[in-house]
Amino acid sequence: MNFRKQFTEGLLTRNPVTVQLLGMCSTLAITTRLFNGLGMGLAVTVILICSNVMISALRRVIPSQIRIAAYIVIIAGFVTIVDLLLQAYLPELSESLGVFIPLIVVNCIILGRAEAFASKNGVLASAVDGLCQGIGYTAALTITCVIRELLGAGTFGGGLLNHGEGIRILPEGLAAMQFVMPVGGFLTLGFVIAGSQWLMKHRNSRKEGKQA
Amino acid sequence: MKRESNVRYILRLSLTLLVITSVMAALLAGVNAVTAPIIAAQTAEKTRQAIAEVLPGVTGYSQIDFTDDTGLVTRVYRETLSSGGNRYAVEVAPAGFGGSITMMVGVDTDGSVLGVRVIDHSETAGLGAVAAADSAAGQAFRDGFLGQTGSVAVTKDGGTVDAITGATVTSRAVCQGVNAALACAAGLS
Amino acid sequence: MNGYVQSLLGILLSAVLTENFILVKFYGICPFMGVSKKIDTALGMGMAVTFVMALASAACWAVNVLLVRLGLEYMQTVAFILVIASIVQVVEMFLKKSVPALYKALGIFLPLITTNCAVLGVALVNVQKGYDFLRSVVNGAAGGLGFLLAIVLFASLRERVDRSDCPECFKGFPITLIAAGLLALAFMGFSGLKIF
Repeated sequence: MNFRKQFTEGLLTRNPVTVQLLGMCSTLAITTRLFNGLGMGLAVTVILICSNVMISALRRVIPSQIRIAAYIVIIAGFVTIVDLLLQAYLPELSESLGVFIPLIVVNCIILGRAEAFASKNGVLASAVDGLCQGIGYTAALTITCVIRELLGAGTFGGGLLNHGEGIRILPEGLAAMQFVMPVGGFLTLGFVIAGSQWLMKHRNSRKEGKQA
Repeated sequence: MKRESNVRYILRLSLTLLVITSVMAALLAGVNAVTAPIIAAQTAEKTRQAIAEVLPGVTGYSQIDFTDDTGLVTRVYRETLSSGGNRYAVEVAPAGFGGSITMMVGVDTDGSVLGVRVIDHSETAGLGAVAAADSAAGQAFRDGFLGQTGSVAVTKDGGTVDAITGATVTSRAVCQGVNAALACAAGLS
Repeated sequence: MNGYVQSLLGILLSAVLTENFILVKFYGICPFMGVSKKIDTALGMGMAVTFVMALASAACWAVNVLLVRLGLEYMQTVAFILVIASIVQVVEMFLKKSVPALYKALGIFLPLITTNCAVLGVALVNVQKGYDFLRSVVNGAAGGLGFLLAIVLFASLRERVDRSDCPECFKGFPITLIAAGLLALAFMGFSGLKIF
């Protein structure tokens, strides 16, 4: 088991959002302020770890013909548990993410990791994989949130800092609200992914430079 | 021979799935048992706050049945005053600019608007969202409904309510909601 | 009665245009991005999704009535996703046996639909908004039509985008997303649209 490799993979080279292009719906829909991004990221990470561990533990028990159905039941179960817990203990987050919490069930990241990793690897490795992929997802979400919130509302840390209002960075008139609307979601994510592609290319060419 | 093993195989598949589903269901039931009362208490508290804001000095209320032709009214609460009259808090959900606007409208004993509060909405920040904001502009907009009876409309449509600047659709939707609430309350008393 | 028909039309209009499932509500982005390289495959996917969404709305409505009666509302998500997965399976088997021509056209898209969040999304939204049976089905079918409209429009855009020149790091997915953003901008023009 190589924690560092798994970590870089999750964060950058195999990032679920910017490279594997999974879980786009929630990435685009809820990234309007920092609180949403962190909350969603955390929720997905917890579910990802739980489902990875359970599926990995049961990988020899579940016959392959019904594995997808079994995975979906397990994932849906954990999603509902997290949904109920959020409703009870973090109602504000639950309200602002709305239907996108139950929709984590069909977030391809979770089913994708179950099929590609947890069904083939040990419990501990699967837990680490869940954690790393979850961190990568959270990072991509958070960056998108910060950009959209800054350009769209002119604030930082909405929902978290300064009594939920966020710290004002741009003067009110300068912010273009289009960025917190659907258009901004597509545009910002496009630029974030382009940025990560550039970063990876840069890294690769530097590596090649060293070898030469 | 082959047939028998086939049956056993299918049985094994279904049984595995059944066991997994039951385990998850049991887990869920456990979590639900813990969270359900907390969630219910929160919902009740939210409703209580909204009602307290549109019916000043409210002491007790109960949810009642209602008839409604507009399809906008979702819930009605009644407070029977010691002096004999009834006040109503009507929850309505008219369609705004970005989706439905859930709001509570307080109706006084004489059928006039006592208060308007937006509970949930997805209107544009800075424009339609003013209707729900605590800002001076939001307060002024909602105060425009106080004491109104019968039917309300924005000044553009010949009424007396000043619409929010740049958010005519939202303002009209709120008017529509208030009208539905007034009509519903009038039908009750 | 008149008001009821109006509300149905309102649901139809908002699900297709003002609250378009993809471009405004962000349900079903994965297939929107994945299966929009060619117009005819986009058309096939759109039709398959419309069909399944209408069917799933109806089935999930019935399941929800049952769940509410049993006091098991917290099992909604689990029940709905299982219902959707089985519907997709049954539709696939049915088409394969009885309408092979249609199966050839839609078959490869069907398995993908289970994890399309538009389908689960519409089922959950129907319950949240308290829609009755007819409203649920209309919302499901209209949501599917909105998906169809968006994906076909987008596929025709994409056939051109993919051939055009752009900066290296934007090649592939990023430029596609930006094109989708421009389409979303166009759909923003519908917001606030009301016939009644």
